[in-house]
Amino acid sequence: PREAVDAEVNSNTAQAMGAVTDDEVIRKRLLIDGDGAGDDRRINLLVKTFFKWCNSGSHEEGYSQYERMLGILAQCEFSMGKTLLVYDMNLREMENYEKIYKETESNIMAAHEKIAECKKQIQQAKRIRKNRQEYDALARVIQTHPDRHETLKQLEALGKELQHLSRIKESVEDKLELRRKQFHVLLSTIRELQQTLENDEKLSEADDVQETRMDTQ
Amino acid sequence: MTSSRAEVDLQRRLELVHMTVFCQSFSPCGKYLAAGNNYGQIAVFSLSAALSSAAEEEDQKSVITFTAHDGPVYSLVSTDRQLISAGNGDVKAWNWSEITKKGCKEAWSRKPPFRANLELPEINCLLLNQKDNTLLTAGGDAVVHVMDMETGAFTQAFQGHMDYIHCLALRDQYNECLSGSEDGTVRLWDLRTGQEAQVIDVYRHQECARPQYGKWIGCLATESEWMVCGGGPALTLWHLRSVTPTTVFPLQDCQQQVMFYQDLILSAGNNPTINHCQISGGVKAQIPCTAPSVYSLAINEQSQENMVLTVAGSSSKVDIFTNFQYRAFSLSFE
Repeated sequence: PREAVDAEVNSNTAQAMGAVTDDEVIRKRLLIDGDGAGDDRRINLLVKTFFKWCNSGSHEEGYSQYERMLGILAQCEFSMGKTLLVYDMNLREMENYEKIYKETESNIMAAHEKIAECKKQIQQAKRIRKNRQEYDALARVIQTHPDRHETLKQLEALGKELQHLSRIKESVEDKLELRRKQFHVLLSTIRELQQTLENDEKLSEADDVQETRMDTQ
Repeated sequence: MTSSRAEVDLQRRLELVHMTVFCQSFSPCGKYLAAGNNYGQIAVFSLSAALSSAAEEEDQKSVITFTAHDGPVYSLVSTDRQLISAGNGDVKAWNWSEITKKGCKEAWSRKPPFRANLELPEINCLLLNQKDNTLLTAGGDAVVHVMDMETGAFTQAFQGHMDYIHCLALRDQYNECLSGSEDGTVRLWDLRTGQEAQVIDVYRHQECARPQYGKWIGCLATESEWMVCGGGPALTLWHLRSVTPTTVFPLQDCQQQVMFYQDLILSAGNNPTINHCQISGGVKAQIPCTAPSVYSLAINEQSQENMVLTVAGSSSKVDIFTNFQYRAFSLSFE
């Protein structure tokens, strides 16, 4: 009700001034001090007290009104000071938020870059791992085959044995040839002797026959 | 009218149940995925829409589905401007720019020179050799045909396999290509001379042979000196220069798709899992996926923001793995 009265007073003065419409004024007043328990009331009270003080009769009443006025003024100043401080604080808070916002943005960018960097590193690491695994796979196959030195040594040993055995074989064959020749010589000598003996026998038989024939004649 | 629509719906739903997606390919810009199925249809999905943060149910369906071949589409590959598809005996090309605008007219269609004229053998695998600008095709006739992309003429034919060819791989540095076939061998062909450089009888090696599954080589992948192959025999990593099997991976099922990725080997086969294997021989992870049997694995390496793994197989759904460790969502072939 108080607000409505004030609004009416204001709209009357506004109509007298002929400047702005009722609604705007009402809206502005409601926005600034909607609850009606603050500064607006104080200023009105101040104005009324001022009038009372001007129209006051006795000295005491005037003095009390004066005191009351000072009190109200002080309250208004206090309220204004508070509002200014709050305004300053809001401004600083805004700056702070701007700063934090910018910082967060740059952090996000840095994080993006780091992510890209890490991705590259992952690719590199994957390539390295792949190469290692390929190497391991081949190494496993190679391990299943015997050592080259071992095999070479075995080959050498086998070669030597082969040589040795072939030498033995040669010598045995030589001996065989020699024996064969000796047997051949022996056998041919035996046959010659046989022949000679047979010839001798034949000769002696022939001689005998001749002798007997000569005897009978 | 309504009963026929219901019939059509029912038929479509039956088709979806029996659908198998055999192949996939990413567009050159990395924003679209094309998948081919056993009904001869190719569906194009918008990956950028499906992966965006504002994706909805609609973005997981195809942008356009068109019938490309009379038979199944077995293989898809992309050049920097065209999508090339292969089915039962013919190779067709479609312009990516037209497909994304929902046009489905083929740019050209060719047939490799097969010997038998009575039936057209299927083309199981397409491979693009960007160095020579040629396309290699291989399939049912056990011959690898080389087609020059500019003229469209079939220049070389590598003969030697005894049975049909499942898969191809390319070794750029040595100008060679490898083919894996049903006859159990992996053959290396010299692309310049057209001669067979080497034959690897995978099934004869005791370490990897699994006679209970057969000797067919279902999948091949190669990277510099190494080759990984699997199928009937166990998935094995081979060192090509010495032609020795270095690591046999302990996977029970027959692997149908394999690829090298960073330091891992990704493979999939008759089980509904993707196996992440390490070169040292351990199976690091087995990630479940929708399809009970996986026929196609693809990684979108060309696009940074849409770098996903897509998996397709005997299901009408194509799984998308954004982080390769788990399935994010699935695109469906509608």
